Amino acid sequence: MQPFSLSSLIPLLTFLVSFVAASSAAPAADYHEQLNLKPLPQNSLLASFNFRSNTSLPEFEAHNFRFFPRSLGQILQHAGTRELHLRFSLGRWDAETWGARPWDGTKEGGTGVELWAWLEAESDEEADHKWLTLTNALSGLFCASLNFIDSTRTTRPVMSFRPEGDHPNTTMANMHLLHGVLPREVVCTENLTPFLKLLPCKGKAGVSSLLDGHKLFDASWQSMAIDVKPVCPAGEECVLQIEQTIDMVLDIERSKRPRDNPIPRPIPSHELKCNTTKPYHADDTCFPTDSLNAQEWTLNQIFGKSMLGKCPLTDPNVPPVCIQAPHTRDVFTSMDVQEVKEPGNENQRCYLLPSNEEEFHLALPFMPRDGDRPKTDADEFVQPATPLLYAERSLTGHGQEHGGVQAILTNPSPDAEVEFVYMESLPWFMRIYLHTLKARISHRTGSDAGQTLRDDDDVIKEIYYRPFLDRQRGTQLEIRMKIPPGSTVFMAYDFEKTILRYTEYPPDANRGFDVAAAVITILPSNSTGGRAARMSNLRTTGMLLNLPTPDFSMPYNVIIFTSTCIALAFGGLYNILVRRFVGRDEGPEVSLVKLQKRLQEAAQRVKERVQERLGVAGKGAKKVEGKTD
Amino acid sequence: MPNVQSFSTLRARSYVFRLPLFTRLMVLAIVVLWLVGIQSAWDLRKWGALIPDEMNFFTAYRMNTFPLIHLNLLHALLNLLALTPLLERFESEYGTLTSAAMFFGPLTTIPAVAYVILERVIFRVNTPVMGASMWVFLLFSVEAVRTYKINPYFVIGTVQVPTWTTPLVMAFVTAALIPSTSFLGHLCGIGTGYLFGLGYLKFIAPPEKILRWIEGKLNLLGRLPHYVSVDQKTYGRFGVLPSNNSSGKRISPALTHIDQLTDGSGTYKGSTSLSGMVGSTQRLASALFVGRSPKLQKAPPYISLLLIVVGVAWLFMLPMNDYSRRTYISENALLPGQVHTYFGGSDQNVLRAYRHEIGALENKTNTEVNDKLEHMFRSMGLKVGRQNYTYTTSGNTVAGENVYAILQAPRGDATEAIVLVAAWRNVKGEFNRNGLAVALALTRYFKRWSLWSKDIILVVPPDSRAGTQAWVDAYHDSHDSRRVADLPIKSGALQGALAIDYPQEERFEGVHIVYDGVNGQLPNLDLINSVTNIASGQMGMGSSIQHMFHHNDQYRDRLTCMLRGMVNQGLGHAVGPHSSFIPYHVDAVTIQPVGQGWHDEMGLGRLVEGTFRSLNNLLEHLHQSFFFYLLMQKERFVSIGTYLPSAMLIAANFTITAISLWVKTGYGRKADTAKESKDIKEKKGVDADAKKAEQTAEEAPAPVERELYLPLSLVTGCQFLGFVPLFVFNHAPASLLAPLFVVVTLLSLALPHALSFFLVTTYRPTHQQYQLITSFFLLLLGMFLSTLATLNFSLAFLVGLLATPLTFVRPFPKVPAAQYAYSALLSLLNPGVVVLGAAVAATTLHGRSGLGLGVVGVSPWEAVRKVLEEGAFGWGVWGMYTPLIFWCVWFPAWVVGSVVVLG
Repeated sequence: MQPFSLSSLIPLLTFLVSFVAASSAAPAADYHEQLNLKPLPQNSLLASFNFRSNTSLPEFEAHNFRFFPRSLGQILQHAGTRELHLRFSLGRWDAETWGARPWDGTKEGGTGVELWAWLEAESDEEADHKWLTLTNALSGLFCASLNFIDSTRTTRPVMSFRPEGDHPNTTMANMHLLHGVLPREVVCTENLTPFLKLLPCKGKAGVSSLLDGHKLFDASWQSMAIDVKPVCPAGEECVLQIEQTIDMVLDIERSKRPRDNPIPRPIPSHELKCNTTKPYHADDTCFPTDSLNAQEWTLNQIFGKSMLGKCPLTDPNVPPVCIQAPHTRDVFTSMDVQEVKEPGNENQRCYLLPSNEEEFHLALPFMPRDGDRPKTDADEFVQPATPLLYAERSLTGHGQEHGGVQAILTNPSPDAEVEFVYMESLPWFMRIYLHTLKARISHRTGSDAGQTLRDDDDVIKEIYYRPFLDRQRGTQLEIRMKIPPGSTVFMAYDFEKTILRYTEYPPDANRGFDVAAAVITILPSNSTGGRAARMSNLRTTGMLLNLPTPDFSMPYNVIIFTSTCIALAFGGLYNILVRRFVGRDEGPEVSLVKLQKRLQEAAQRVKERVQERLGVAGKGAKKVEGKTD
Repeated sequence: MPNVQSFSTLRARSYVFRLPLFTRLMVLAIVVLWLVGIQSAWDLRKWGALIPDEMNFFTAYRMNTFPLIHLNLLHALLNLLALTPLLERFESEYGTLTSAAMFFGPLTTIPAVAYVILERVIFRVNTPVMGASMWVFLLFSVEAVRTYKINPYFVIGTVQVPTWTTPLVMAFVTAALIPSTSFLGHLCGIGTGYLFGLGYLKFIAPPEKILRWIEGKLNLLGRLPHYVSVDQKTYGRFGVLPSNNSSGKRISPALTHIDQLTDGSGTYKGSTSLSGMVGSTQRLASALFVGRSPKLQKAPPYISLLLIVVGVAWLFMLPMNDYSRRTYISENALLPGQVHTYFGGSDQNVLRAYRHEIGALENKTNTEVNDKLEHMFRSMGLKVGRQNYTYTTSGNTVAGENVYAILQAPRGDATEAIVLVAAWRNVKGEFNRNGLAVALALTRYFKRWSLWSKDIILVVPPDSRAGTQAWVDAYHDSHDSRRVADLPIKSGALQGALAIDYPQEERFEGVHIVYDGVNGQLPNLDLINSVTNIASGQMGMGSSIQHMFHHNDQYRDRLTCMLRGMVNQGLGHAVGPHSSFIPYHVDAVTIQPVGQGWHDEMGLGRLVEGTFRSLNNLLEHLHQSFFFYLLMQKERFVSIGTYLPSAMLIAANFTITAISLWVKTGYGRKADTAKESKDIKEKKGVDADAKKAEQTAEEAPAPVERELYLPLSLVTGCQFLGFVPLFVFNHAPASLLAPLFVVVTLLSLALPHALSFFLVTTYRPTHQQYQLITSFFLLLLGMFLSTLATLNFSLAFLVGLLATPLTFVRPFPKVPAAQYAYSALLSLLNPGVVVLGAAVAATTLHGRSGLGLGVVGVSPWEAVRKVLEEGAFGWGVWGMYTPLIFWCVWFPAWVVGSVVVLG
């Protein structure tokens, strides 16, 4: 009896302890964090961190913050912000390889910094004023140049964004949506630090302890998001929810490199994996086998540090780490970790951590591709879902006067059509010609399959266009489109490049101007249900627009040139104005001319005399000659 | 014509009521057709407009309908306002019947035909035109020519502007101010108007006899209201109209009369009459040029000679230490040679394997090669695209398929990219086995780094001449999609490109940097400096340019190097796969390993790695350093400010002679002119004082009228003649090129003799006319060359130098020996003979000229064919304008110059 009671006591004790810990942090459900790992094809790994905390609205109004960060809360109250979305992103999502985006793309932004918020204001002017307050305050909080979101970069989207929170109808009427992007802002560690500071565990424990600037910003794609919105669950009181998300795609091979030796030196030749079937294979000749084969990895290898237990403020029943991999994938974890599988989703495995402060380890070993039980790609990763829409955008044309933009939008689905809003917010110096906006469609299936393109105006359902005003606001273009199944739409428009004023060029003007990513909001389709029941987003890549750029040493050349011209012109003009012109015979005689004249006269006299005396005597002539000398 | 000051509604009303018949009909037709054009059921404009491509025998009606159809109300209204008074004037003068005959006949069809020919044959575009503005300009220029005969100049400051230029100015202003006007169409109208105004189209007018007969038979005068009779035209509303002959005589006494007001020394004695004031101002202005001093009059040829000598000497001074500068890195961000390169070790094993793989593909087809390469790229995890292209020049078809792979910058956003080109075959057609292997191994190695801020694109074209051009064109969407396919995937703005050309199997001693772009455009000097710096400073390789592998940095070698560069730039052809990038403002060079040494392909890889790391550092597009320079050693250059005067002086020598001849032709010493004026003066009974002035006037040159028609038409005609060889050589099949060349050269040698004979027998050109001819063609030549010097210095210099004898062409009527000698000299400098000579000279060079024409050691026949083929290929594929300069700038000048010598 005794051994039984003792052995059964330990779990009981731990349970009690954990219960006490949980109750002390009540209400524990107000903070939630989770790390989702998802191996992707071509040796990549998607890591999604999600942190969520709630505070009830009355408490928020009473400045009684618990898990909600005070610094941010005060800004929101001061600027009358009802809902806030802030994004810091870097890199591009390779939809072709990695498939659909995490969170349906709703938690990501275009390259750089993107901010949109619903502000409560009586008028547009008040909203603008509050927006200014908000951007400036956030700029200080997140060490980002958000204060550069001025009127030229601010748009008021009409069709693309919908409030995500539950707002009472009375406030809805006075809510203004403002949206701004900074495509040139480089996201860096200085943005991560304030981001982590907002978390209750501040990166010291729990999944956030894995976050490290070196690895995060070495990722192939990363997006940090903050969403603040009021949520009113049915039958309960409304809460204000802040959700912080970090998604990143890590290149496993690159991430595994030790931090003190990150240089990809060539590996020793004996470690090189070669294709030995090649006829020329030798010790010094090696055709490399697929370098894209899955690799082994562990959690602390790829994040550069290990996870320090779990955050004590979370609900102990919610597993902090989950991995989405086929059930045939071998996964090893540290001791005392409980594996939880959701019944419906057999590819998802979650891990409940013991409440002690021990490090959590996770390892995915190498799975041999040969031998008696060979593994395939299907055992390595879950085949990613096909996205609803592929979007690609590029600049066309060359030269410094005109250009064009082409967006290629493909609906990969064989049977469902996709409806979305395509939003561009372009800088004012990109003067677009709306009449050149053309959509051509090419079907991959059906009667006109193949590369045949035809103009199709049916694709574009609705256009909202707010033209630019020079130096005041940019172009806002929202297009609602519907693409039939299995078709590609080529949408293109032309624009003219503006010559800016000398002082309007940014530093490094010859780099070009970044144009923000286009935001595509896929509208929920009510017909098919299932697949696109919710709104989802995607963004194209940014563009680099080359404007005619002056040579900035030019002003000095101009100054020198103008000065010379003025000096010359002034000299000549002054000379003409001041000088008095007279005829040669009228003016006083110049000494040299005088001398010449006298000499001539003298010579003339001599000549005459000589002619006179020639007839008389030779002597006299000689005498005269001597005289003149 | 009514003017604005005297406008009153009453007069306007009466003017409108008195409009003659034909004018009324035309106005009515324009209004009616505009009304018809409003409806949308039948596209009137498409039916009636002058569309060059749709012109054939059955659509000839368009030539008559197009002036009556207008685009919109504004267009019709403006044209009506302009046309009505002009047409009314014409009709009042020539009569209704003649007007109808002329405007439904030659005056509409001649400009229309000229326009269609110009559009279709020369510009190869298809711009539909419509509207009466062509008539407006035609009538306007007829008026202008008439005004010119009465009142030759209006004076702005001291500049005399001939009044006949007004329509041209108007056409320019219209083209500049009003969008979508057809400048060419207007020019055709103006040209025809000039011809008509000068009376050269008189013969097309219907004979008066017939008109009278028709008029009398049908009693048109009685039946038709507002009809202007044939008889009425001779003494119509305007009374006796100024005719051609009387004005010429009337003007000279007027001018000589002015002469007596200004005495020989040029002191102005004062006159109250306005005409005297204007005349004396003209006289003074011209006196400044030549009137005063006969020495000054003789100076221009010597000045021209001096300019040529100084221009050439200038060029030869450049290689000296005092005039050239050492190169330096201007863009700090490049930091060449400041990074460690890690390409090496086991990567060499991979490279060897790639070389085996590529070697096995040598004799496979383009598609098989690309399939294999695509597979290799995909297994490296790159995005792959393929692109087809087909070019046809000289009857040969160049087709192929480019394959390219994009290594997406690990943290980048597809905003910028750098390009690595490894063509399957280099410009000489050699198999670029090692180059491609290095490029593949490098790409695999680059994939491991995460520091790239720009995408890296590896392009593998099947050849180095057309493939890269097709790819770059398509990348910038400036391709003709019938010949070149679109690119399936793209990246960001190209910031730089590097091509590897490594066909040799052995280890190498150093690298040869090829940098000349199409049309003599050059990459930023910083790029060349970076490569040189990394190669010499970091890798310890030698580097060389312009095939000068043993450069001792002395005057002679520097000069040779510079001249080689100038020849390459002057020819303007692509010397490597990088050349096609440069016109798109993408700085690019080709790196060729040369010589026998100890550097292996890994060294080349490290050189490319270092250069890519430098380019990767760039925050801005390369813009700091020079784009216009002449390199005379890898580390020594002259910039545009220093070398440009050389070509500009040579171009200026033509202009100076042209201006001096123009001034000279305004003053003749012809006895008849002087005598004539004497007679008139005697009639007037002038006093003794005037007689004294007259004596001096007889000694001083007397103003004479310039006979412009013959010189202008000869020079213009020859200028257009240049398009014939241009067209022939760019469109003839390769097999016919050499025979055609011989034919064209022989014809062009005979042409001046024939033209000269024709001129002498038909027109008997005067000395003044020959001088005017010389003046015009030299003016054109000087203008073209000085403009060209800013775009392609070397070409402008070379053509200028070859054309210098043309400055001194004069008719040699008295010294036949000099005439024959000079004409023989010019024959030697015939463009065709020069091409032949250059081709033959190139065959004897030992493959070191670096011209890449592949003519070493072949027969002259073959060499000429290759040169011409290259010209046609460049024109069709690269957009190289050297043939245009050759045949449309130099050739016409040569023909006219030779005619002058023979005259």
